[in-house]
Amino acid sequence: MSAATVDERADDEVVEILRQTMPLQVARDDLLRRIAAAGRRVHYEATQVLYEVDDIADDLYIIVSGEVRHTLGPGAHAKEPTKVLKAGDVFGWAALLEKTPRRLARAVCTKPTEIVRIGGETLLRVLATDADVGDVVMSRFATMISREFTVPDLADQLRRIHRKMHAKDIQGMNLTLYRMSLWLKSPRPYLMLIGFALFLGFWYLAVEVWKLPRFREMPGITAVIKEWVSREPTYGLSIYTDEYYKHIWVSVWRVTQAFVLATLLGVPIGLFLGWSKKFKEYVFPVFEVFRPIPILAWVPLAIVMFVATESAVIFLTFLASFFATALNTMLGVESIDESYVRAANCLGASRAQVFRHVILPGALPFIFTGLQISIGVSWFSLVAAEMVSGQYGLGYVINTSYTMVRYPTIVIGMITLGAVGYVTSALVRVVGDYLMQWRTRELALGGR
Amino acid sequence: MDATALAAPSAAVSSAVTTRGAIVIDDVVKIYDPDGAAVMAVDHCSLNIEAGEICMIVGPSGCGKTTLLNAIAGFHEITSGQILLDGEVLCSAEKPKAEPSSDRIVVFQNGALFPWKTNLENVAFGPLMQGKLNKTDALEKARAMMADAGLAGVEHNYPGEVSSGMRRRVEIVRALMNEPKVLLLDEPYRALDSLTKSVMHEALLEIYYRNKVTIFFITHDLEEAIFLGHKVAIMTTRPCKPKKILHVDIPHPRDYSVLTSKRFRELMEETNDAVHEEALKAFAAGEKEG
Repeated sequence: MSAATVDERADDEVVEILRQTMPLQVARDDLLRRIAAAGRRVHYEATQVLYEVDDIADDLYIIVSGEVRHTLGPGAHAKEPTKVLKAGDVFGWAALLEKTPRRLARAVCTKPTEIVRIGGETLLRVLATDADVGDVVMSRFATMISREFTVPDLADQLRRIHRKMHAKDIQGMNLTLYRMSLWLKSPRPYLMLIGFALFLGFWYLAVEVWKLPRFREMPGITAVIKEWVSREPTYGLSIYTDEYYKHIWVSVWRVTQAFVLATLLGVPIGLFLGWSKKFKEYVFPVFEVFRPIPILAWVPLAIVMFVATESAVIFLTFLASFFATALNTMLGVESIDESYVRAANCLGASRAQVFRHVILPGALPFIFTGLQISIGVSWFSLVAAEMVSGQYGLGYVINTSYTMVRYPTIVIGMITLGAVGYVTSALVRVVGDYLMQWRTRELALGGR
Repeated sequence: MDATALAAPSAAVSSAVTTRGAIVIDDVVKIYDPDGAAVMAVDHCSLNIEAGEICMIVGPSGCGKTTLLNAIAGFHEITSGQILLDGEVLCSAEKPKAEPSSDRIVVFQNGALFPWKTNLENVAFGPLMQGKLNKTDALEKARAMMADAGLAGVEHNYPGEVSSGMRRRVEIVRALMNEPKVLLLDEPYRALDSLTKSVMHEALLEIYYRNKVTIFFITHDLEEAIFLGHKVAIMTTRPCKPKKILHVDIPHPRDYSVLTSKRFRELMEETNDAVHEEALKAFAAGEKEG
């Protein structure tokens, strides 16, 4: 028989003992096996002292055979100070407490004794590999400690299992950064780069190398980039001209106004649509008639209604955003599980409190989905509006460049629009993550 | 520092006699009337639950047990009859819907901890909403109660970050924060695996021995019912009313060794037929509807 099989058998024996201990009953075999493997077997003679009160508590002890007398010091306020421990008993779990723990008892072998010792740190590390079970194990330890002793706060000192990557200790912006670092470590950013490279490569080949008929009039990638970074652009628009930034600024400002307005009106109206059946009966049918009307169909009316072009553009941009926000907010309220409202009622919350503490936070995930859509459609409708009227803005750039045959500038406008749009929607997401940490943390635990 | 009592818990039973939380369900009828097709969910149901008693309501899924719980909690109306709590009428034919209140707190089947609040904020929610405690005191009391229930260390986690067994315990502690007269549990352990379930049973008993409240516990698991309850009411399937009431004479405090005791087996045998018969009826009814 090889040494390995002896070890395995010995481990089996330890696994069996571990399984019978109260905190580890919930652990699965593979976890128990890892714990057993982390320990080391030591033989002690009778009368040998294992530790004294106030020794540094490093290891947890599991008796395989023999007998140990365990006497708690007066500081422990134990309900029964002296105990005789036999095979299968576990002791010395001061090793699991926080801050250089000290022994609260004296342990002496009364017979020749076989013991498995596991370092407190090591055990915590092993438990942390299975965070769900690990948490339960540690909370059972806490229950045991509070049952055995009257030392205040001892259970509080029990070290917590830090879940995967400490997500629970990360707050707010750090969490966003943390998710960003996770993202950078994953293959996704590199796949994304490959995707971009393929697209740009195709553009280059199609227009400038193969000169495909369909792309004959298309500006090539090199022409666009040359124009974009030129100090003296042929068609008057590049990153070195103030004009370029003015267009961006005007568009961003219009979208901001429209988006803020849509949010300020859309969220409360959506909340009331979801909250009050009666309000919904009045308002929702009107909503459903107006919502599918494409934004371009509103252009003539908008120009008639608003004398100033600027207000007309903002109105058109606002309109689509508003419907997206209000509708999603309403769905958010309706999606809230009835038992949350009932639980709040049981716990004595008034109608206003239910609204503030249940409806609003409960609908928040949907509200932010709505805002994501809203910011997207606001750019969409902005460009439509700017193409029809206005003197500045990215939509205006694209449209006038077309009529004036400045093809590279069209593409510059498009790419800028895409980039700015992406940034604004990322900002909405960051704000959402910040406001819904409970959700972000759950997602982070799932490694997303 | 050490533990020998790694085996079964043996919490001391408090000698305090509970006098609050007696429920009388008196001839309650509940008829749902969807589109004029009157469906009788609860049929002249009468049941007495004494103060501080654990009363287990056993019946197959969909038999109308939850309707009864909803009537006590004040979520649904009753059609006739009355329900009394400590002699006061909660609901009757004149006032068909009870007022939800913090003296009768429900622990929901799928759990209803607010996922957007930390465990601690959840536990402190009741007294804060009722204005009974200020924020500091409420959080302090919540922290102490969580530590008592072996939940130290997860206060600042959100419910979604802890195991489902732990979530259930947090929810029970959240209810107990309000010193309710009655805890209404609606199959709270249904979704848990059997190992976690067994842990939860002992944890619930431990909590019960410390805070004697009346427990109205709905389940479809007979073993769970006999293990936990003083009284087990086996319900008939739709319409729901007690078919058989069993007084479990196994003394409290109980621990897991009860499950293998002779008396426990006897009680199981005594009631198993009644439960099985109702389950068959429920199954047959389901077939017909399907």
